[in-house]
Amino acid sequence: MTATLETSVARSTSDTAVALSGVSKVFGHGSSAVAALDGVDLRVKPGEFVCLLGASGCGKSTLLNLVAGLDSPTAGSIELSTSRPAVMFQEPALMPWLTASRNVELALRFAGVGRADRRRQAGELLELVRLGDVAGKRPHELSGGMRQRVALARSLASTLASGDAPGLLLMDEPFAALDAITRDVLQAELLRVWETTNTAIIFVTHDVREAVRLGQRVVLLSSRPGRVVREWSVDGVTDSVAVLDEINTHLREVISGHAS
Amino acid sequence: MATPHDTLEAVGAGLDALDAPVASHRAPVWQRFLKTGVPPLVAFALLLGVWQGLWASAILPEFQLPSPLSVWNELVSSISSGEAFGILWTSLHRAVFGFIAAVLIATPLGLLVAKVRVVRAAIGSLLTGLQSLPSVAWVPAAILWFGVTPSTIYFVVLMGSVPSIANGLVAGIDQIPPLLPRVGRALGAGRLASARHILLPAALPGYLAGLKQGWAFSWRSLMAAEIIATSPQLGVGLGQYLHNGSSLNDINMVIAAIFLILLVGIGIELLLFRPLERAVLRARGLTGAL
Repeated sequence: MTATLETSVARSTSDTAVALSGVSKVFGHGSSAVAALDGVDLRVKPGEFVCLLGASGCGKSTLLNLVAGLDSPTAGSIELSTSRPAVMFQEPALMPWLTASRNVELALRFAGVGRADRRRQAGELLELVRLGDVAGKRPHELSGGMRQRVALARSLASTLASGDAPGLLLMDEPFAALDAITRDVLQAELLRVWETTNTAIIFVTHDVREAVRLGQRVVLLSSRPGRVVREWSVDGVTDSVAVLDEINTHLREVISGHAS
Repeated sequence: MATPHDTLEAVGAGLDALDAPVASHRAPVWQRFLKTGVPPLVAFALLLGVWQGLWASAILPEFQLPSPLSVWNELVSSISSGEAFGILWTSLHRAVFGFIAAVLIATPLGLLVAKVRVVRAAIGSLLTGLQSLPSVAWVPAAILWFGVTPSTIYFVVLMGSVPSIANGLVAGIDQIPPLLPRVGRALGAGRLASARHILLPAALPGYLAGLKQGWAFSWRSLMAAEIIATSPQLGVGLGQYLHNGSSLNDINMVIAAIFLILLVGIGIELLLFRPLERAVLRARGLTGAL
């Protein structure tokens, strides 16, 4: 954990895991500058599942990179009261020369976990994503869905092992490259894992159905620059068709605004 | 009755069983020998047959084209007198020492060129250019600088192999998918940890290809240096043996020497580099070419 994160932990209140206030990000300088994010305010409670929804160019990935600390905002502040956030990408991005178990252990090694504990924790996490019996296989011997589950276990290892604070998972369209059946199964797996680990999740997607199914809250972002347009609480919604319709309508409005 | 959750779990287990790539079983030893060992043996036998036929037709005089049997006799006599082992040892230990020194020089050099922009701009193209410069071109200069000493030979070997190894490492690092180091950073790896656990293993296939080429270059550079730079002080290596054969107008000796040079080249490739390369590629699922 970096020094800047530690100071922000002290300042933040316990009912907020992530607090973004007035976050802006501009790429480039002068006339060629592109504003990716403009004045984004977002709060995520510990253990909350938030879906960021938006079309291409809404700065979803930029937002995740900022929260992950891979990039720094041009303006505004980001406060985290979680352990080091873990990022999951669209591709599993496993190290092809390491077995499933070693891939998870690598994350634990970077988090400073000792050798004996690495073995045990990696085994437990692979059990959690139901891959205990293929721990010794290499990525090329696994299916796409299995690889993405190893990547999930690795992300969990990274965020759960790096401190006592609750974890934070940042997911950048992690299921977009999978077929429909596998995606359906993995969404259920993710919900189960989320309930077991009590990790806060920020999940980026362009699929309204996925956002409503997974999230407790859906946040709609506009494109170029990314701004928060609206948000819906979808936890325990009974009439999901109506909510889907409503969110879809707004998403289409946001996109058609760029037609001119 | 199964709950929806149980059903989904069963679907997931079914998908895992269906989607996981089928592990290919390795064929038994005799089958693999039949596939990979027999064709080169047949090719070699054919080559011997053509050679024997050409010799029997007597188109070329005996001092230009000897019979396979007389070359074989030359080989057997030099092996039974122990001369061949001395010659092989002289050349091989030079090549191995030269190669190890080249690895030790080229690895940090390659890392610098790959990761430091200024260094790449300054000597990147020079390194590629040196690869196309036949290292035998260094022999005259090296003799003037170092005299006819082992230093000359090692210098030529290094000039031959260092660029190949360094370039292989650079290519290996350049071809790392950018997502992997990014994942490393997202997982909290520092620069050093990232280099050790992500960059180096990811660059290994390219590095290995560079090492293989580096060995080939150091072996052929050594032969070139030994043929040109001959002196009693240097002892008799394969190159000198070849040179002596040429001086004595002994075609049997010349072809026996070429045969031994090839034998070492093929032997090191088969015993060292091919198993290494296979192990590395197999672990990554890159078995297409195997």
